[in-house]
Amino acid sequence: MSKFDPWLIVEYAPHLALGAWRTIYIVVAAFLLGYAFGIVLALLSFLPGRLPRTLLTIYSVCLRSIPFIIALFIIYYGLPFFGVRLPTIYVAIVSLAVYKSAYYAEAIRGAIVALPRGQFESARAVGMSPAQAFRHVIAPQILRGLIPPSTNLTLMLIKESSVLSSIAVAELTYQGLIMQGNTYAALEVFTAVSAVYWALCSMTAWLAHRLEARSNAPQAAAIQRNRIAARYLSFERVGK
Amino acid sequence: MTVVPDVLCVEQLSKSFGALRAVDDVSLRITRGQVVGLIGASGSGKTTLLRCMTGLERHDAGYVSIEGKPFGRVSVGGVDRQQTRKEMDALRPKLGLVFQQLNLWPHLTAIENIIRPQVVVLKRSREEATAKAVQLLTTLGLSAKSSEYPYALSGGQRQRVAIARALAMDPALMLFDEPTSALDPELVGEVVALLRDLAAMGMTMVIVTHEMGFATKVSDRIVAMNAGKIIFDGKTRGADLASNRPLAGSHYT
Repeated sequence: MSKFDPWLIVEYAPHLALGAWRTIYIVVAAFLLGYAFGIVLALLSFLPGRLPRTLLTIYSVCLRSIPFIIALFIIYYGLPFFGVRLPTIYVAIVSLAVYKSAYYAEAIRGAIVALPRGQFESARAVGMSPAQAFRHVIAPQILRGLIPPSTNLTLMLIKESSVLSSIAVAELTYQGLIMQGNTYAALEVFTAVSAVYWALCSMTAWLAHRLEARSNAPQAAAIQRNRIAARYLSFERVGK
Repeated sequence: MTVVPDVLCVEQLSKSFGALRAVDDVSLRITRGQVVGLIGASGSGKTTLLRCMTGLERHDAGYVSIEGKPFGRVSVGGVDRQQTRKEMDALRPKLGLVFQQLNLWPHLTAIENIIRPQVVVLKRSREEATAKAVQLLTTLGLSAKSSEYPYALSGGQRQRVAIARALAMDPALMLFDEPTSALDPELVGEVVALLRDLAAMGMTMVIVTHEMGFATKVSDRIVAMNAGKIIFDGKTRGADLASNRPLAGSHYT
């Protein structure tokens, strides 16, 4: 067995950077698309009647019960059957987005359900339309609570994007597999690939943390202004 | 002579939940300036009636109209039709509802709770809405608390913010759902004074409560419900309540 050779990574750094960039591109696009899709699905599930809710449940149970790689194969090999031919990278983005939208939709729906019903009713009672009630009363209140579950799901999304290597999307894992094929230095290569995934996930988590701190700031400031509240409730100080 | 339409008119309203007839063929007219205490034990249908009158619940039969305009269901050529959401939303600001749980919006300051619906629903300018909110908060003795978030306010202060939020929409009718239930008993006197002030301003009001003593203190007309029906409807001011014996037999004596 040969020695661990870190110089190999330096030599192949451009490949890693290219793969990392492609992964970031896919993840950002899939996140935006999947989240938007999730919001739409969650809101549709609140339409009157039992049917919308049931349809969402079926959608999410189906998607959540199969591994991502299988969902990917179904979409990738299935689309041409319906005469749809897309560049592989778009298939990759759409598959990830559709797969994750089921999770995002359930998280968003859960956050809305957790709000007291009176919040929606009081907005409707003053004459706001359901859309206005969502915009002014519901959305601002669920946003903060949605950050932690959305972060977890997005970290999973980043890691699941590695599965895209199996349909030859040249993202990080795929580049790693090529490097391994060229060098047979699996340990060095996949250690480096891990480091890049770790960096991507850490950055995402840090961003989410900042976002959460910022969304807490106005209320935290108001609490600190109130002496009685400050005396009886111990709130974590949220730094600026 | 022009006929001034009733502020609120309920005709033969019924609402069932499954087999339970929560509101059973109720008719009620409320004229301008009246303060009506709607009383009944829990389960008597008073809250359901309130929710049907305010369009939060869809009733099965009967009609509601606000200042002569139909709200909820309309009869067109003998056929009943449920109004569209937009038709109903246009009338909602006319009904100033103060919820039992108040339902202030916790992410907005007290004054923003009052400004936002005016701007969003009535399309008032921010300046106009702010002036209205400041004026209401001052009237209700809350001007010092305007920039506080709801959780930094006491129960009584929250209630006054909720009342101000409803009043800011210039309602034709104010409806209070159990205004004393969320408060400490010693604050009830404060609510009585506040409701009397509103009545003195000429505000038409419906106060849903199960406390007979409170109802007689604030209202000039009592409507009592039992098992979804109105079992008593009469004046309180000047009238000797004890002589209105139809109430005897229920536990409001």
